[in-house]
Amino acid sequence: MSGYRLSDGGRVNRSQPVTFNFDGRSYQGFAGDTLASALLANGVMLFGRSFKYHRPRGLLGAGSEEPNALVSVDRGAGRFTPNLRATGVEIHDGLIAVSQNRWPSLKHDLGAINDRLGMFLPAGFYNKTFMWPRSFWDRLYEPAIRRMSGLGEAPTEADPDSYVATYAHCDLLIIGGGPAGIEAALAAIADDMRVILVDDQDELGGGALMDPALWPWLAASVKTLRDAPNVTLLTRTTAFGYYHDNFVGAVERLTDHLADIGEGPREKLWRIRAGEVILAQGAIERPLVFDGNDVPGVMLSSAAKVFANRYGVAVGRSVALMASHDSGWHDVFALARTGVGIAAIIDVRETVDAGLLVKAANLGIAVKLGHSVIGVKGRHGVSGIEVARNDGMAKAMIACDAVLMAGGWTPSVHLWSHSKGTLVWRDDLGAYVPDQPNENVRCVGACAGAWDFGRGAVIDVLPTPKDHTRINAFVDFQNDVTAKDIKLAVREGFKSIEHIKRYTTNGMATDQGKTSNLNGLQIAATALSKPVSDIGLTSFRPPYTPQTFGALAGHAKGALFQPTRKSPIDSWAEEQGAVFELVAQWRRARYFPKSGEDMHSAVNRECRAVRSSVGIFDASTLGKIEVVGPDAAEFLNRMYTNPWKALEPGRCRYGLLLKEDGFIMDDGVSARLAPDRFHLTTTTGGAARVLNMMEDYLQTEWPDLNVWLTSTTEHYAVIAVQGPNARKVLEPLVEDIDLSVEAFPHMAIREGHICGVPTRLFRVSFTGELGFEINVPAAFGRALWERIMAVGAAYDITPYGTEAMHVLRAEKGFIIVGQDTDGTVTPCDAGLGWAVGKKKPDFVGKRSLDRPDILAPGRKQLVGLLTEDPNLVLEEGAQIVAYPDQPIPMTMIGHVTSAYWSEALGRSITLALVTGGQGRMGEVLHIPMPAATHRAVVTGMTFYDPDGVRLHV
Amino acid sequence: MSEPLVRFDPVPGTSFVRRDLTIHLAPPMARYSLRARQASDVEALLGTTVPDKIGLTIGNIACLGPDEWLYRAAAGARVATNHISPVAVTDIRERSVCLIVEGLRAAQVLMSGCPLDIDGFTVGRATRTIYEGVEILVIQVDEDCFHVEVWRSFAPWLWTALTTASCH
Repeated sequence: MSGYRLSDGGRVNRSQPVTFNFDGRSYQGFAGDTLASALLANGVMLFGRSFKYHRPRGLLGAGSEEPNALVSVDRGAGRFTPNLRATGVEIHDGLIAVSQNRWPSLKHDLGAINDRLGMFLPAGFYNKTFMWPRSFWDRLYEPAIRRMSGLGEAPTEADPDSYVATYAHCDLLIIGGGPAGIEAALAAIADDMRVILVDDQDELGGGALMDPALWPWLAASVKTLRDAPNVTLLTRTTAFGYYHDNFVGAVERLTDHLADIGEGPREKLWRIRAGEVILAQGAIERPLVFDGNDVPGVMLSSAAKVFANRYGVAVGRSVALMASHDSGWHDVFALARTGVGIAAIIDVRETVDAGLLVKAANLGIAVKLGHSVIGVKGRHGVSGIEVARNDGMAKAMIACDAVLMAGGWTPSVHLWSHSKGTLVWRDDLGAYVPDQPNENVRCVGACAGAWDFGRGAVIDVLPTPKDHTRINAFVDFQNDVTAKDIKLAVREGFKSIEHIKRYTTNGMATDQGKTSNLNGLQIAATALSKPVSDIGLTSFRPPYTPQTFGALAGHAKGALFQPTRKSPIDSWAEEQGAVFELVAQWRRARYFPKSGEDMHSAVNRECRAVRSSVGIFDASTLGKIEVVGPDAAEFLNRMYTNPWKALEPGRCRYGLLLKEDGFIMDDGVSARLAPDRFHLTTTTGGAARVLNMMEDYLQTEWPDLNVWLTSTTEHYAVIAVQGPNARKVLEPLVEDIDLSVEAFPHMAIREGHICGVPTRLFRVSFTGELGFEINVPAAFGRALWERIMAVGAAYDITPYGTEAMHVLRAEKGFIIVGQDTDGTVTPCDAGLGWAVGKKKPDFVGKRSLDRPDILAPGRKQLVGLLTEDPNLVLEEGAQIVAYPDQPIPMTMIGHVTSAYWSEALGRSITLALVTGGQGRMGEVLHIPMPAATHRAVVTGMTFYDPDGVRLHV
Repeated sequence: MSEPLVRFDPVPGTSFVRRDLTIHLAPPMARYSLRARQASDVEALLGTTVPDKIGLTIGNIACLGPDEWLYRAAAGARVATNHISPVAVTDIRERSVCLIVEGLRAAQVLMSGCPLDIDGFTVGRATRTIYEGVEILVIQVDEDCFHVEVWRSFAPWLWTALTTASCH
């Protein structure tokens, strides 16, 4: 209990008290406080437990670099957020926060046993220890380790909040609202450019917020910016990632700081495209590495100044400074002026600027030069420090309740690194600073190394007479990595910082090593006896600080997760109680159950109707491409395997499309409407793929062809009317097309009108029955469907879904690309050799069909299978073997691609890919399934009406 | 049985109004995709001037690509598709629907999911783009009025997305 509220000062609103709750206890702070400053003001020093050793931890910093003080905030059902930095949580009335990674309580944590066992848990401990037996890893080691370690609990309930997103464009994006960023924005006001200034704090100011002397300037500047019509100010907004072409992602927190979150969105994702970016992210103070540097109450010197001057909170009553840099001296002078007691200034340097010594003397502060802290007393809070001269002599105890570390400064180059700007090492700063940009970006202020914090010495680990292998001198506070872990990694042979990082996990926590990277580098460099710049630098990656999934997902949940494409007739199917399935992005009616029917009986009824009278099917989702131009036939001739030039207008042809490798990619029936116009159809899922491939060939291989492709998939609703009575149903509806067998043969197309709307009427069949596919403008699809249903009632017209369609086509041996093929099936493998134009000089994939492995015997070929038990429907995907008595693992010679109950045949039917299948006709093969191994005879693929007489009626 | 077939459109026929923004479905119109090597071929076919710069609109003809024009006109307008011509004409009148987004916040609402700098558009600008994952065609027809052409099956999603975005 040592922090307290100063009697005056700070930017908090002392007239507006705020009541909040931490770990079940109620506290009071002021509007403008963070959870960190408010708890500190209440004397709380202990904020959490560390990741690996469960050591008690307090605050290290005061901003987004904070590695220790991670808390969870609970705003009710579904609104539980873990791993928030207490230094970034603004308090509001009713805020409920809890500490993490401790059980049963923060003060008494059983996991702290790890701390006593610390010397047995060196770097790489888990990798080394839990290797064997392998089988223990999944069920024992990993779950146990995960329970013991880790940070906050993942939320389990659905998030009720909404999140919004936007794109934004500007000429100048400034990231960081400190003095450097504000100056940059002010300089841009006069120019007529769009400026966005982003800052992650609740108010602009950055470093100026801890310097009351700058407040008048700050107030005036912010007002000027607010009044400027061309400047957008985004506070509480974290620019988390910097991507190609000056594209920056930022998340604005809209409601987390409010007592009443209202109905609005919680966060807003800004996707900003900027002409120029100015990074003004400032610098982060570097901790010093010494034994006990993680005891609650040991913190960054600058953080103490922030708490005092910005929040009016003293971090202790008697504060000691451990410095290697002048900036710490200035900080404690500022603290002393606010009335905070200064126990001593210890500086590892033998000499410092005389002016500092004079000021310290004037303030009556004891100074020890050439000394270092070698130990910290206290467990849940600092009670004193042990210091020694750098030669290990002159040990002394100093009583204090807080220790400030001033180890110099690290420019925040995270976003600069995202943008692939290069860095250069500066020995005088002991830090990497931005060098050459890769985008139109520049750095200003402290993140460019331009600061006036004074001078310092760069030091890896403070001198200590203690045994280096026995002390707890932390480098990465969040991942519990100590100096001895890094030295161990070097001893074990790791030479690159990339390897040392991964072995020790230094810098791999959620803070991405904001306070640890440079100290880790220094320690590794010293251990390797190399300059820092020789051992490399790890890269920073987005996000700068952890962001919510909600912000990144935005609206993409529920109905807006992704579009479900529905056909123009879908609404009718829905009203009829159809069961749907998803095919690519489309949803299609799978079957239309009548009351009491299961899928099997519904599909059987639908199949019977098509075979005996007439069925109606929504084929609107089939891909359609209009190919127009004088070279249209030439183009198709080059794309498809079969010849197209001789196809007469008014006729249709089955088209088979291969990839360059000779394997089947897509198929469909296409029609020639005129010498220069074709209407192509593709599979439902292949529509975009086929159009893209055709465009690709047209634009890159044959730009000389005068032909153009237009997707017409969505222009048409397509209604298939199939069955012996199909013609009778359509005759009264079609106005100007002769439907007779003589005038309109199978595989023909006619243009005319149906029910007053223009139609492209195909006579085609995917069922093996007399069939028509009616293309009409999409808006009229549903009304036409209902008209056909009304007329068809006389013939018991039956709507059928994709499942019955699958059965009917399988009875005819028609393949479905992607079900009966798998990207390794050639036309010959699929029994479609007839569709390959032998005399054609070329087509896509032709050359590949002559490759030795394509011509070699023993390829898997598509065949029919008839199970010996006619009632048995094999499982699709079931493996096929030649002999059932082989030892396991058996030699698998193929698999089932399609298997259905055929109502028309009164038995099951199967399509399968079988090695050398076309040479196995009549052979008995075996299909092992979970309960038994089944026998089936190899047959041709056409099970029903092999001569096709039903098509031509 | 003889009454004409009624239209079904994939989004509500009533306007969505939120503060100073309205979104509503445009009435049916004729749409043709015109593809040709030269703008002059298209001009010869239509007997009118067409834009020769991608992204521009003249009258009701927008140039969308180096060899691509979109012709939109009142329902019933026809371009002959039945004779050999250097222009490839394809009827796409029902492929898309047009959502009219109108009001002071129109550009802002579109930019909630469209990565283009719509604030920088001028009247007449026409471009194919995306709204989140959905392909759209944006035409600025007036200072605060945009036509958003979207394929029918994506229209319900886009309607929900735009109306949701305009509530924030």
